[in-house]
Amino acid sequence: MRYFIALMVSKIAYFMIRLIGKDGTYFPGKLAIKICPDFLGHIKKPKVIIGVTGTNGKTTVCNMIIDVLEDNGYRVLNNRKGANINFGIASTFLEAKGEYDIAVLEIDERSSRLIYPYVKPNYVVVTNFFRDSIRRNAHPEYIVDFINKAIPKETKVILNGDDLICTGVAPKNKHIYYSIDKLSTDTKEPINIVRDIRICPKCHSTLKYDYVRYHHLGKLHCPKCDFANPTPDYLAKLDFDKMTMDYKYDTKICTYPLVSNSIFNIYNEIACITLLTNLKLNPNDIKKSLKKLHIVETRFTKEVINGVEIITHLAKGQNPVACSRVFDYVKNETGTKDVIFLPDDVEDNIKTSENITWLYDTDFELLNDPSIKKIIIGGPRYLDNKLRLLLAGIPEDKMILIPNELDTAKYIDKDVDKIFILHDLHATHLGFAIKKQIKEILGGDKHEN
Amino acid sequence: MKIEILYSEIANLFGDMANVRYLEKCLPKAEFIYTSINDKPKFISEKVSLVYMGPMSEHSQELVIDALSKYTNEIKASINDGVNFLVTGNAMEVFGKYIENEDGTKVEGLGIFDIYAKRDMMHRYNSIELGTFNKLEIVGFKSTFTEVFGNAPKFLKIKRGYGNSKDSDVEGIKKNNFIATTLLGPILILNPYFTKYLFEKMGVKTKLLYEDEMIKAYNKRLEEFKDEKRNLD
Repeated sequence: MRYFIALMVSKIAYFMIRLIGKDGTYFPGKLAIKICPDFLGHIKKPKVIIGVTGTNGKTTVCNMIIDVLEDNGYRVLNNRKGANINFGIASTFLEAKGEYDIAVLEIDERSSRLIYPYVKPNYVVVTNFFRDSIRRNAHPEYIVDFINKAIPKETKVILNGDDLICTGVAPKNKHIYYSIDKLSTDTKEPINIVRDIRICPKCHSTLKYDYVRYHHLGKLHCPKCDFANPTPDYLAKLDFDKMTMDYKYDTKICTYPLVSNSIFNIYNEIACITLLTNLKLNPNDIKKSLKKLHIVETRFTKEVINGVEIITHLAKGQNPVACSRVFDYVKNETGTKDVIFLPDDVEDNIKTSENITWLYDTDFELLNDPSIKKIIIGGPRYLDNKLRLLLAGIPEDKMILIPNELDTAKYIDKDVDKIFILHDLHATHLGFAIKKQIKEILGGDKHEN
Repeated sequence: MKIEILYSEIANLFGDMANVRYLEKCLPKAEFIYTSINDKPKFISEKVSLVYMGPMSEHSQELVIDALSKYTNEIKASINDGVNFLVTGNAMEVFGKYIENEDGTKVEGLGIFDIYAKRDMMHRYNSIELGTFNKLEIVGFKSTFTEVFGNAPKFLKIKRGYGNSKDSDVEGIKKNNFIATTLLGPILILNPYFTKYLFEKMGVKTKLLYEDEMIKAYNKRLEEFKDEKRNLD
C-alpha cells in the first residue's frame, strides 16, 4: 500500500516538475523513498541491470556503455541525466516509459548500502579506487567497505586488474578482471605522490613493483606471500601509432579503436568493452559503435583557432588523482602549451574557506615541464596555488596567479601550439566562458572536434 | 640532523606528507629516515631531531598500535626526555587508551595519554580550525570520524571550529616537545610561524623556504577563518 501511495505521489511530482519545464532527476525519487523506504525493491526494473562504480571514470564508462548499447538497438534505461545516489536511481525507474532491455546505472560508492539491497545488478563494473574528497570519502578502504558490505552475492564484478585495491572488491563474488599490458611509459619506480596501497593486505610487507603505470596502478607483488595482481581475463595491448588495441580473451583477439590517447580514458573504454563482451555483443558491432564515440562536452572539448588548439578538460577539484591524471595527459601532449587551471570550489569559497589539503596530494610537479610555457591559475585560493607551484619547483616567471578566474584568458600566449583550460566540474561554465574569450583573442572559428 | 617519519607507507593521508617534503626542501642536509611498519623505530635507540607521523585509515591505526605497543615505555621515556614529536590527524588517537567503535567494541591504544576516541563512521566532522598556541594563531582543517575525550595537556585553545570533540574548546596534545594535533594536511606550510617555532625546537636556524609567500597565504586564511559569516564547513 505504501508503495502504491509513494508511486502515485512521486509520479505526480515528476509530471508537475516536467510541467514547469524542469528536469526532476532527484526530487520524485526522494519523495518516493521518504514515503516508502524500500521503494526501490518494489518498482519495476528491466531484467538485466548493470551497475558502474569506482572513484574516477564511472560517468564516462556509463556513457560509453549506454551509447554502444543504444547504437546497437537496445533500449537502455539509465541515470546519466540524474543523480547516482538512491534518490536519483529511484527517479530513473519512476521516469521509465514502456519496456527496456537493460538498465545501466552509475552508482555512488557510498550509496551502495541504500541501493544494492533493492537493486541487484547482474554485473557491476568497477573502474578504480583512489583517495577522493577528504570531507566525503575519507580514504579508499572506507569506500570499498561500503561496497563489500552491500553488493549482492550473485552479482558478477568486472574489476580493473591493474588496481590492487579494486581487485579486493567483493572477494566472494565472481570476479572478471581487465588489464592493460605493459606500456613503454610504465616506470620501475613510482613517481606520483598518492599511492593508496603500499603494503600487502595479507602479511603487511611492503609491496614490490614489477612496473608502475600511475599512482598504485601497475603490476605489484608481495615479496613474502602470494599477494599480487590477478591474471587478467581480458588483456588489452595498446598501439598508440595506430590508435588501436588488441583485446585478448580466451583464445580470441579483437582489434578495437582507441577512443582517446589518455590512459585513464582507455581504462574506461576497456571496462566498457569487457562488460559488453560479457553481455555477448558481437565484437564487430562494438567496434562500429566505438568509432562513433566522443567524450561528453562537459568533460572534454577541442577546437583549433588559427592554428592553436584550445582544449577544455575536466579536472575535478578536491580529487588529487583526477587532477594528477589530467596534468600527466597535458604534459605528454605534443607541442608547446599554456595551461589555465581553475581548481577552486566555487561554492566553498563563498560559504566557508576551502580545505586545500588536496593540493598537496596532487602532482603539480608534472606541470614542471619544458613544453609548458605558462601556468595561469585563477580563483580565490591563488596564494595557496602559488605556494604549491613553487614547491613543485615551477619557475616563478612561468606562473600567473590571480584571484578571478575570468581574468585568466588575457595572459595566454598566442604562439603556443595548445592552450589547455582545466576546470572543476562546478566551474565548467567558467571554463567555457574562458574558452570563448580565448577564441576572441585568437580570432577565427574553425571547428575540429 | 635526523628526522624520522613513522610508517609513511600507511600514515600518509590528506596531503600530510607535504609536511615532510617541505622539511626535506628546507633541510637538504638532514637525514630523513622512513621507518616501515615492520621495522623498529630509530628514535627508540638513536637521537633524532623530530619524529613525524601522519593520519591513516582505521585499519592502519590498529597496525600502528600493534607495531608501537612493543615500545610503549621507550616512547614515554622519549616524551619525558623532550624528543620532538609531530603527530597529525587520527595518529593522535593511537597514543590514547582506546578507540571505541559504534558497536561498543574497543581497540586498545598505547595508553600513553589519558584520552579515548569514539568512532562514528557514518558521520564525518569537517571544519576549518582556528586556535592559539602560546601566542601563535594556528589555522588548519579537520576532517574526522572520531571525537576525542579525556584529559591530556592541550596543544590548541580553539577559537573557531571543533576541538577534540564537537563541544570542546581544546585541541590536540602538547607535553614537553610532543605535539599531536587532529588538524590535517600541510600544517607546516599553512602555519609559517608555528614552523619557525618547531625549527627553533629542532635547533634549526634556516629561514623558511618561500617564507614570504607562506605568510601571505597564512594571513589571507586567517582573515577568512576569523570572518564569522563564513561557515565552519
